Amino acid sequence: MQEVTGLFMVATMLRNILGKYLPNPQWVDIVITLINIGAIFTVISLSAVILVYAERKVSAYMQMRIGPNRVGPWGILQTVADMIKLMSKEDIMPVGADRWLWILAPVLLFIPSAAVYVVFPFDNQAIFADLNIGIFYFIAVSSQATLPFLMAGWASNSKYALIGGMRTVAQMLSYEIPLVFSILGVVMIVGSMRMSDIVAAQQQVWFIVVQPLAFIIFLIAATAETNRAPFDLVESESELVAGPFTEYSGMRWALFFLAEYANLFAASAIAVTLFLGGWNGPWLPGWLWFLLKTALMIFVFMWLRWTFPRPRVDQLMAFGWKILLPLSLVNVVLTGIGIYTVKYFS
Amino acid sequence: MQGKGLLAGMRITLNRLFGKKITVHYPEEKIPMSPRFRGGELDLAHNKCIACGLCAMACPNQVIELTTRTDEHKKRHLTSYIYHSGRCLYCNYCIEVCPTDAICWDKNYENSRYFRHQLDVDCLAISRGKSPNAVVGTNPDDTDKEEGTT
Ligand code: SF4
Ligand code: SF4
Repeated sequence: MQEVTGLFMVATMLRNILGKYLPNPQWVDIVITLINIGAIFTVISLSAVILVYAERKVSAYMQMRIGPNRVGPWGILQTVADMIKLMSKEDIMPVGADRWLWILAPVLLFIPSAAVYVVFPFDNQAIFADLNIGIFYFIAVSSQATLPFLMAGWASNSKYALIGGMRTVAQMLSYEIPLVFSILGVVMIVGSMRMSDIVAAQQQVWFIVVQPLAFIIFLIAATAETNRAPFDLVESESELVAGPFTEYSGMRWALFFLAEYANLFAASAIAVTLFLGGWNGPWLPGWLWFLLKTALMIFVFMWLRWTFPRPRVDQLMAFGWKILLPLSLVNVVLTGIGIYTVKYFS
Repeated sequence: MQGKGLLAGMRITLNRLFGKKITVHYPEEKIPMSPRFRGGELDLAHNKCIACGLCAMACPNQVIELTTRTDEHKKRHLTSYIYHSGRCLYCNYCIEVCPTDAICWDKNYENSRYFRHQLDVDCLAISRGKSPNAVVGTNPDDTDKEEGTT
């Protein structure tokens, strides 16, 4: 066991304080669980607010503009103002919509985005649930996000939304597979799917050095999975009529948006955990390293987004199946050969 | 190598990220319009104007509405000069036809108004406001109705 640090200490302290006031340990557990859930939602909504602002600033700077600068100093309250605007918007439901599916879709989309946060190792010991199938859980839960998109597309009772929904599902399915295979290389080396094991295995050398190909495949596939440009065929509202959420307005639409930014944070956090050594790092506390690295990954995703033009849908599918998937399989084979050679010579 | 262009693109965007920003902070800062800019409102120099009415006649949309007064030396003076900018095509005919270059475009591009009547500009009053000592033309009572053109 490594030395106990940072967030874990805070949690233990909280536990001790609660222990003094609450009658028995079960109560403490319940309160701690509630606090955990609250923390996840705080992280998600806060990160969404910050990320929207960051995205606008990064895009502006890359286009030699300044970006939001009206509301608050440097425009930092712009997203808050946008949120208030969204909340005050009229909630329109299309005639003939499949009522319950339509209402459930954005909520269901948000749930997997929030649920994956359970397995992120924010710091040494600071993980909500250190499952021994952590990575598998992440893949399983995050791939659920495909279904609500189809639901939203179908329930809207609109051709455009339905086509958009199917396009989304096609894209997400195609890129889920290379994503999983690129992660597999790391899992093979570590020999465990537990997040804390994966991070612990990177104390000497980060997996981006050992698995550069897997990292690139992961980067591309995760971009597609989070529906970000250049693979943003899901949302592009002016060109592709916003795909499955064409008919959504106000807060329901905002939920789609929130889920997207939650996914962006999740994808970056997973990339950090798998390839960039997680919370490992000298001097600074682990959670700060995790946050810094995640911020860096988010910046890389934004950088990609504001650099590349969007491919056509057929190019997108061809790239996923004909290039990324074989490459990720090659990576798995190479990793296997590598592991055996290392074992053979040692 | 495949994918070289992708890296080049990323290098460019990164350079731009740290590069100079060219945004004009619009309401505070404004770009001076070029000499050829055609838009805004007609800027009348009433002491150059000989009240010939050619501009009003040249206009395909009857945008310019002017009235004149003839004085004892048979010299015409402007008594009113209204420019209905809401109808203007910005075709420039009026300016081209003017024999004394009395009208030109002002370089203003903030032309939105809340009410339609605010689009009717009294160019003579504006021109007088700019040079208050000029006294050509008088009050509307003296208007020579026969000479009035619309
Ligand atoms: S620009 Fe054309 S339309 Fe406008 S006032 Fe002059 S002549 Fe008339
Ligand atoms: S054409 Fe020129 S000089 Fe003649 S009335 Fe118009 S502005 Fe005056």
